[in-house]
Amino acid sequence: MFYTIIEQVVNGIISGSVYAIVAVGMTMIFGVLRAINFAHGEYYMLGTFGAWFAIEYFDLPYPVAVVIGVVATAVIAVVVGNLVMQRIVGASAEAGVLATLGVSLILQNTTILVFGGSYKFFSGGYIEPVSILGLTLAEQRVLIIIVGLVVFVGLELMVTYSRMGKAMRAVSQNIECCAVVGIDVRQIALWTFILGACLAALSGVLTAPVNVSVYGGMGELITFKTLPIIIMGGLGNVRGTFVAAMILGIAESLVATYVGLQFRDTVGFATLMLVLMWRPHGLFSAQARF
Amino acid sequence: MTPAELSAVTPGRDLRVPFGIALAALACVAPLFLGNYPLHAIIIALIFLLPAHGLNLLLGYTGLLSLAQAAFFGIGAYTSALLAVHFGTPFYVNFLAAGLMAGAIALPLGIPALRLRATSFVMCTLGFVIIGQAIAKNWIGLTRGDMGLAAIPKPYFALGPASFTVSGTIGFYYLVLSIAAIATLVAYLIVRSPAGQNMIAIRENETLAESVGIPTWHYKLVVFMISAAFAGLGGSLYAHYLTVVSPLTFQMYYSTTMLIIVLGGGAGTVSGVIFGSLVFVGLTEALRVAPELRMIAYGLFLLGLVFWFPSGFAPLIGRFWSLLETRR
Repeated sequence: MFYTIIEQVVNGIISGSVYAIVAVGMTMIFGVLRAINFAHGEYYMLGTFGAWFAIEYFDLPYPVAVVIGVVATAVIAVVVGNLVMQRIVGASAEAGVLATLGVSLILQNTTILVFGGSYKFFSGGYIEPVSILGLTLAEQRVLIIIVGLVVFVGLELMVTYSRMGKAMRAVSQNIECCAVVGIDVRQIALWTFILGACLAALSGVLTAPVNVSVYGGMGELITFKTLPIIIMGGLGNVRGTFVAAMILGIAESLVATYVGLQFRDTVGFATLMLVLMWRPHGLFSAQARF
Repeated sequence: MTPAELSAVTPGRDLRVPFGIALAALACVAPLFLGNYPLHAIIIALIFLLPAHGLNLLLGYTGLLSLAQAAFFGIGAYTSALLAVHFGTPFYVNFLAAGLMAGAIALPLGIPALRLRATSFVMCTLGFVIIGQAIAKNWIGLTRGDMGLAAIPKPYFALGPASFTVSGTIGFYYLVLSIAAIATLVAYLIVRSPAGQNMIAIRENETLAESVGIPTWHYKLVVFMISAAFAGLGGSLYAHYLTVVSPLTFQMYYSTTMLIIVLGGGAGTVSGVIFGSLVFVGLTEALRVAPELRMIAYGLFLLGLVFWFPSGFAPLIGRFWSLLETRR
């Protein structure tokens, strides 16, 4: 009984890490662009498809496939960023919602058009079991936790010390002032968007060996899981997002085990609504950006 | 002012009325020269018109961006379907019950949701759709889960001994046309009333509206309920038209569609919404050749809308009118 709970909590932390990597990109994009990116899950899907394609058609080893998946997504993100995301800087909330919904439909259905709508088997990854402190986990799951930690420490260092990171924080706090002191806001917005898309793609390729199947519509579910996380975490708040992602991952895991698997995907929005009733601005302040 | 200047200030006032009458007349005789398939498309457009009018009151007039229309659309569809399948009640009972149910459920959902600002409100309304779908999928005793409810009877009316059933596309067309016309009239009366002016005041500046004594909170809640009721009525028509409902009725697709109709047609205008629903449904029907291509085109359409026609087609229509005016 106790062992099961521990096991479920660990599983929750693993899915929480995945959500955290996707959501941190989305929340940074919100911070800079002030727009909810409804297409964010699509970059997760594109990363996975890139890696799947590399393994299936070129028989490349998994680590190379990871790089290809992320790079392919980055290329698409440069195009989308230039054509769409840069233009919604300073636009209305409706414009942001509609434009990113449009991008989501285009990316998702182009993928289905090119690769077909069926589920595909993702072979690759490290699926050998390892035993840690009495818990048996697949190597891939351990890898997910490690990468999650590395990503968060790296991001924290980047936004604190690097020039680009400082500029991102500045833009998320006050666009007008940044424009006045000569920061190229559109350029920062573009780079933040590309970074976010790459993180989503990375998270996708890391999870693919665990999820096993790959399909064109898979991004939508991820978008719908990420949205409540970034609201709960306080829009634009990186640390808050990390905590909210962990809470959601663990809550989902426990609900799936003790309430019913079919309720897992509603946990996010149900929790969000309860949280918003109690604290209308989310669990963490939106002021403490990045 | 000379009469010419006056007509420049109120462009096409005398043209719009005959145009409207002509359009109405055309709508009445449409089945004479349209085949079943175009009629089907127009029926869908007219059904979508109801939730779109509701969203327009909420977004176009009160300034609240909501993605919950699909949730209330689904609630209306299920209410209507369950009544019809289990109790065999006449159509008008199901129809009104669907609207009332959606409006009533909007009250407890709206109270917490409307306290939220901008993005959080949007997310909360999206949550209604996701949770509605989960309930439809998992409350199997009531909704039969993923199998959905099938064989929903065609609308029948019973008053005393007389009763008749609306069957066939043409019959349904006239039923939906008259309901859509009434709904349009109701929406028009709401926005033309003092309440409509207050709604616009809330959209433009909520704090200012409150300071001049408009009870903004009550307005927002009531408009949210009315918009939900409109969506529920649309859902009822949809259920009776397709004769099946499934958890797919709670799809983000419907919320997105309503958003496109309202923003595409021109938020804050009743005629824009009518135009938007006809154009949008026409577009999606024309693109039915391949579903993936259709969705891609739909996405491109969205982007085009945002970047080239940020206030929808309404300004285009306005320009068209003034063009006609100067030609005269």
